[in-house]
Amino acid sequence: MEKLISILEELQPDVDYATCDNLVDGHFIDSLTILALISEIEDNFGVTVPTVEIIPDNFNSAKKIWQLIERLQEEE
Amino acid sequence: MSYFSSLYYLAFLPAVFIIYNLFPKKVRPFILLIASLIFFYTYSKWLLVFILISALSIYIAGKLLNKLINEQNAEIKDLELEKKKLVKEKYRKKKKLILLGTILFNVAFLFYFKYLGFFTNVFNNLLSLFKFDSSFKIVRHLAPIGISFYTLEAISYIVDVYHEKCPSENNFFKLLLYLTFFPTLVEGPITRYNDVREDIYAGHKATYDSFCFGYQRILYGLFKKMVIADRLNIFVKMIFCDYNHFSGPLIFLGAIFYTILLYMEFSGTMDIVIGSAEIFGIKLKENFRQPFFSKSISEFWSRWHISLGAWFKDYIFYPVSLSKFVKKITSSLKKVFSTHVTSLVMGGIALFAVWSLNGLWHGAGYQFLFFGYYHFTLILLANIFEPYVIKICDKLKINRQNIFYKIFRIIKTCILVFIGEMFFRANSLASGIAMFKRLFTHFSFHRFGHYVLTLGLDIKDYIILGLSIIFIFIMSILKEKNVNVREELSKKNIVLRWLCYYALILSIIVFGAYGDGYAPVEPIYADF
Amino acid sequence: MKNVLKSVLFIAILIGLIMGITCLLLPKESIYKYGLIKTSTYEILREKENTIDAVVIGDSLIYSGISPMEIWHNYGYTVYDMAKSAQLISDSYKYFQVAIASQKPKIIFFEANVLYRQAKNKPWLSVWQDLYKTYLPILTYHNYWKKYLFNNLNDSLYYSRLNAYKGFKYINKSVPGTKLDYMHEKAKVEVPKENQEYFQKIVELCQENAVKLIVISTPNMKSWNYGKHLGAKELTESYGLKYIDLNIGNPLDIDWKTESRDAGSHLNFKGAIKLSNYIGEYLESTEEFSDKRDQEEYDNWDEAYELYEKLLLQ
Repeated sequence: MEKLISILEELQPDVDYATCDNLVDGHFIDSLTILALISEIEDNFGVTVPTVEIIPDNFNSAKKIWQLIERLQEEE
Repeated sequence: MSYFSSLYYLAFLPAVFIIYNLFPKKVRPFILLIASLIFFYTYSKWLLVFILISALSIYIAGKLLNKLINEQNAEIKDLELEKKKLVKEKYRKKKKLILLGTILFNVAFLFYFKYLGFFTNVFNNLLSLFKFDSSFKIVRHLAPIGISFYTLEAISYIVDVYHEKCPSENNFFKLLLYLTFFPTLVEGPITRYNDVREDIYAGHKATYDSFCFGYQRILYGLFKKMVIADRLNIFVKMIFCDYNHFSGPLIFLGAIFYTILLYMEFSGTMDIVIGSAEIFGIKLKENFRQPFFSKSISEFWSRWHISLGAWFKDYIFYPVSLSKFVKKITSSLKKVFSTHVTSLVMGGIALFAVWSLNGLWHGAGYQFLFFGYYHFTLILLANIFEPYVIKICDKLKINRQNIFYKIFRIIKTCILVFIGEMFFRANSLASGIAMFKRLFTHFSFHRFGHYVLTLGLDIKDYIILGLSIIFIFIMSILKEKNVNVREELSKKNIVLRWLCYYALILSIIVFGAYGDGYAPVEPIYADF
Repeated sequence: MKNVLKSVLFIAILIGLIMGITCLLLPKESIYKYGLIKTSTYEILREKENTIDAVVIGDSLIYSGISPMEIWHNYGYTVYDMAKSAQLISDSYKYFQVAIASQKPKIIFFEANVLYRQAKNKPWLSVWQDLYKTYLPILTYHNYWKKYLFNNLNDSLYYSRLNAYKGFKYINKSVPGTKLDYMHEKAKVEVPKENQEYFQKIVELCQENAVKLIVISTPNMKSWNYGKHLGAKELTESYGLKYIDLNIGNPLDIDWKTESRDAGSHLNFKGAIKLSNYIGEYLESTEEFSDKRDQEEYDNWDEAYELYEKLLLQ
């Protein structure tokens, strides 16, 4: 989880990832940032993020993203 | 029958409202379907057949995919992980074949009706470049109304079924209703099956309140279109037809007016569309979110024609940028470059695909392709320079949250949008470029005031325009600040409420730009 | 039930408001004399009383072919088109009545094509449009707000300020007509009995009011032919009226390749200029009219011409 937050902070500073729960819906991170994030996640956590999973609901908070990673790891 | 014709909102819609309520819940969706088919027929007559064939193909493909998914799930139920993967792979191939086949079939329809003429022309031009004397006959067809919209809806449905994001529809007529639902048929918004299926099949009672609320919204749309857009149209037509006679500032004013016109026309249509659906208890997603408050071009496109942007993001941008091909490129780049660069390349490729298609979607013509690449370039440049801009701002001690800095960015974005829309409206790419050149080569305010007042609009028109635009502007600010004006209004007493309605209706009737000397704007997005 | 009452009340108040505004926007004298609906149905009632020299009554051939503003500009006579697409002779009769009551023109031209048109069921779309145009006159006159909100009311321009076309419809398209031998020999076609009766009423109306009635066939390749020419000629001459057929021998020298807007059915603007000048010339030859271009009373026609020129540019 810490690792994820540090990745996020590197990609897009100025956001409080511990509390923010509308990253996508609130337009804090745009689609290019999401792409960079996905490629970082794939490198660091050894999962593949399929297109279907890219919905606002999965990316709206650091917690949600972490849940997604965990779920993908289980499925692998 | 256009959404702006009195026949639609004074006769057709009330008639559907009454008939709809006469029937029991279960039958109501079919009343909507019949109304939709009649509505389609008034535009495109027997091209209705094509939409039926297309819908049938989508329906069958959806059922087939569903069957395969069920078979697959039954087969892998008790298997180990490794074997599961093998079975999944086997089914994936079959499913993909169906998916691609259906998409291709439907895109072929779209291509035939909308793009064949343009591409034969391009092909002929290419051949003549190499000195081949070729003249393939250019065939142009009258396209079924709304084909660009329902093809995208159809694709989103079938892709979502493929990904098991939404269930496949068992009833052909229900699916047909989703694809042809009359409010969204001509100009969108491009709905997603998951978002609307519950509402459109529910057969909610259309109540007195929903009727009033719906018509409120429709009135607001009519106001935008008839008082503002149709009035601006006079001036815009003059400038764009005869740009050779006008100076740079006048052409720029024409571009500004056209952008406002386009917004009022298109968002006004959306008000009518969303209001119409609201009458039947169907909530559609908004297609505009105060676009002129955007601080960057990419933000603009997340506020303007939202459903189109979202469609391209979900069905082109992410699939392309996460495709194996693009991933291969980026993983090799990653070894050499920073994350910023690699994600730019990754996104850049996908963005290029998105904007090529977005341009073409807007129309078959070079100016539309240019329109797409114009935005592609702006968005890419903004992303490339973003880190540097932040650095510069830090050095100069500019607070990026400062209100003046924000206003500066908003104005910058608006100017870029005006120029983009100027190319979009230009009669051809060549005239678009010529107009752009004139902005600088003929920069002079000589007789500016004279022309402004003689190109069809007089001082009284400008007063009405100014007042109405201020009105819409205030409404937009309130919306941006999350004030729900309609809800506030509904809490007020009846005298005040009715006064508002009467004021709106009478100002449309009296100040609407119709009749002698005004030609209404053709529905701009309906041709797409 | 409460909701029904509310809706009825809402609509009633709305109708009241619309009527009120309509009364404000239309020429008051005309409303007083002819009623609200009539004033708005007949455009000619927007003109000041007794200022029109000649009226042309007919169907789309008239509003496509005769532009009163051209006649005004070149000859200084005031002519008005009272034309409606696919006009029936029963409607024409009403037009005659309105024209004579409000304007006392010296000459009325009547397009012979109307003599042959028989009532058909109207398509529902045009029924709808007629309906709201008749009962919501404000839709035709709403642009008068410009005159109202920012100027003083009692100037004479008020009457015809926005009425620049005087019944003409400007359509600038060109589709060549090809049936050049359309006036070849053909057996006489009788004017339908019913229409003959109406025509008689029209003739009597004109005689009573000492209006000179001239029946005219304007250039028209599609629906006119030699048989109809003979029928119309016989009918008009039986009343001792003048009949002009501009299809015989093409006296206006219409070039059908460039001067029709729809392959010979109607003239386009280029053709209309020729026909309008012919009418002007004809009026001149009667020596009954004076050139009104310099008269102060007709300033509004000059102003309408300015607007007309602007509209043509659009």
